[in-house]
Amino acid sequence: MVKWPSGQVKEAEGSVGPRWDAGPPDRSTTSAVFARGLTREYRRGAETIRALKGIDLEVKQGEFVGVLGHSGAGKTTLLNLAGLMDRPTSGTLEVLGNDLSRRRGLDALRRGNVGFVFQEFYLMPQLTALENVLMPKMWGRARKGSGDWVLGTGQEPQKPGTVRAKELLKLVGLEKRMNHRPTELSGGEMQRVAIARSLVNDPRLLLADEPTGNLDTKTRDTVLSLLLELNQDSGLTVLVATHDLSLESWFSRVVKLEDGVVQ
Amino acid sequence: MSWFYLAFKNLVRRPTRTILTVMGVGIAIAVLYSLFEFQRGYQERLKGELGALGAHVMVVPKGCPYEAATIALHGGKWPRYMDEGLLDKVKADPGVAEAAGLIMDAVFAEGGRNIILLGTDEDYMKLRPAWRISGSWFNSDSSVILGATFAQEMGLKPGDEWTLPDKNVRLVVSGVVSRTNTQDDGFVFLPRKTLQRISGLEGKLVVILVKAKHVDKTAELVASLRSSEVDMNVFPLSELLGTIGQLMASTKIFVSAVILIAVVLGGVGVLNTVLMAVFERTREIGMMKAMGGSRSDVFKLVWAETILATVAGGVTGVVVAVGSSRLVEALIRGMIPYAPKGSLIGLSPATVALCIGLSILLGLAAGFYPAFRAASIRPVEAIKTE
Repeated sequence: MVKWPSGQVKEAEGSVGPRWDAGPPDRSTTSAVFARGLTREYRRGAETIRALKGIDLEVKQGEFVGVLGHSGAGKTTLLNLAGLMDRPTSGTLEVLGNDLSRRRGLDALRRGNVGFVFQEFYLMPQLTALENVLMPKMWGRARKGSGDWVLGTGQEPQKPGTVRAKELLKLVGLEKRMNHRPTELSGGEMQRVAIARSLVNDPRLLLADEPTGNLDTKTRDTVLSLLLELNQDSGLTVLVATHDLSLESWFSRVVKLEDGVVQ
Repeated sequence: MSWFYLAFKNLVRRPTRTILTVMGVGIAIAVLYSLFEFQRGYQERLKGELGALGAHVMVVPKGCPYEAATIALHGGKWPRYMDEGLLDKVKADPGVAEAAGLIMDAVFAEGGRNIILLGTDEDYMKLRPAWRISGSWFNSDSSVILGATFAQEMGLKPGDEWTLPDKNVRLVVSGVVSRTNTQDDGFVFLPRKTLQRISGLEGKLVVILVKAKHVDKTAELVASLRSSEVDMNVFPLSELLGTIGQLMASTKIFVSAVILIAVVLGGVGVLNTVLMAVFERTREIGMMKAMGGSRSDVFKLVWAETILATVAGGVTGVVVAVGSSRLVEALIRGMIPYAPKGSLIGLSPATVALCIGLSILLGLAAGFYPAFRAASIRPVEAIKTE
């Protein structure tokens, strides 16, 4: 069993960005994602594509939810909306009790509350595993816990950000690989670095879009076990989008999407 | 991890592209540095050389006064002469404190060495108060005084006999002038009458150097001398300096314009390179934004990368310019009719600051649009997996 290093994510030291405002009705303590009639349309030339067609959905805080569906079902669109990277065309969307239709500065809110893991790891090849994990600490204004690095010294200042990044790499079993570059890591190791990176700002909601899509079966199970343990040990809300319907048994609850509609 | 660390890492990630970008900026900055330094060095050295003449006004035969000035400064043959009688007329002007008439010639020694001969008299010493002569002034018609460098190179000292090459005239070294760090160090001084006789130029002068009684009345002195005699050119050295300075300045404007175009083209190259890198890194930038990076975060990062590249180019350019200063100087000297002696391109903090400042400006300008484009990338579009 992996032990969550800093206790509850919500209370973690060095967390960044603004926390959510509670607004009526107050679902901030119970609901991670709340959607009613959620619609997202895209224009592609003269054509309008309806990626989500008025879905209703609620994910409670602390849940480990799988969003299952074939390619084009709307999984990524849903995760993008839940992850504050996009805005709905219509409908209501509340994330951690906040109505997104009236919010500005989504990047700052995302920084402090949401972690992302992608199918492709998007690690920066020129940085070590530790530097990749530290990178999200750079964004936004200087803040408590940001780990600075002194160019050319090769020394890592023991600032809270660096300490936290090392804790997370240890958590994902890569404490001995933290100074390796992505090209020196296996696919599973890279995905674990990406997971550590998504956690470095102590999010309350972790969104993983096809996190095992590029991994073999054994590594896939390792990564899913890690996400499950994060959920169970710390109460972190986790949404995993996957087209692999055989993974259904991993999740505490499954939302099946098909052609932009919840089945 | 700092902004500049990440920007630096991004640059070294594609070393060939970065090196080419840095080189493009570096070449433009190197040329710019060389030009500015050459201009500055030229003005300073020329001022120094004219100051070393110890005169305020130069009287030369009719013809190009700048060519005559070159002869006066560096010595040599000039096929125009004045009548020696003009010297008395010049000396008679009430505004003249001192005046020395000079005759010049040059002979070739073995190995193609050019020996500059300068014929004068005691009046010349009055223009050279700082001269210290080891030995004595001319003590016979066949005596000769040597500049410090010439004496050292020839291994001559006071009392030694020396045969003037090409003319086969035996001379005795009466004195050696202590080092002055001016053109005098390389000259051979003879009594004026002796050099006139040796060169077949009896009664002729090449230049009259004039020291004014009142420096602030040099213009009046020049006007007075000009009105007294029509067969000579009279000009103040300040005018010579000013005219050469103006010529250099007008050249500088033209060359600067050409170089600035090169710098701008270098900037366009940088812009193109960074923009291409931004397009290539669309998904990576999308990931940064997904991780909470704001528009300004991404903007700052791309801007920092561009500025780092152009500053690296600026530093490289300055280093290359200073490192190749002798070569560049030799090339420029070969292209212009007259250049003062001594090093013209050096290490000047003001020019270094100017070039580095310009490279920063270049980075700011060239990086703005790519940074704006990068900042405008929407993460949801950059990271499409469905």
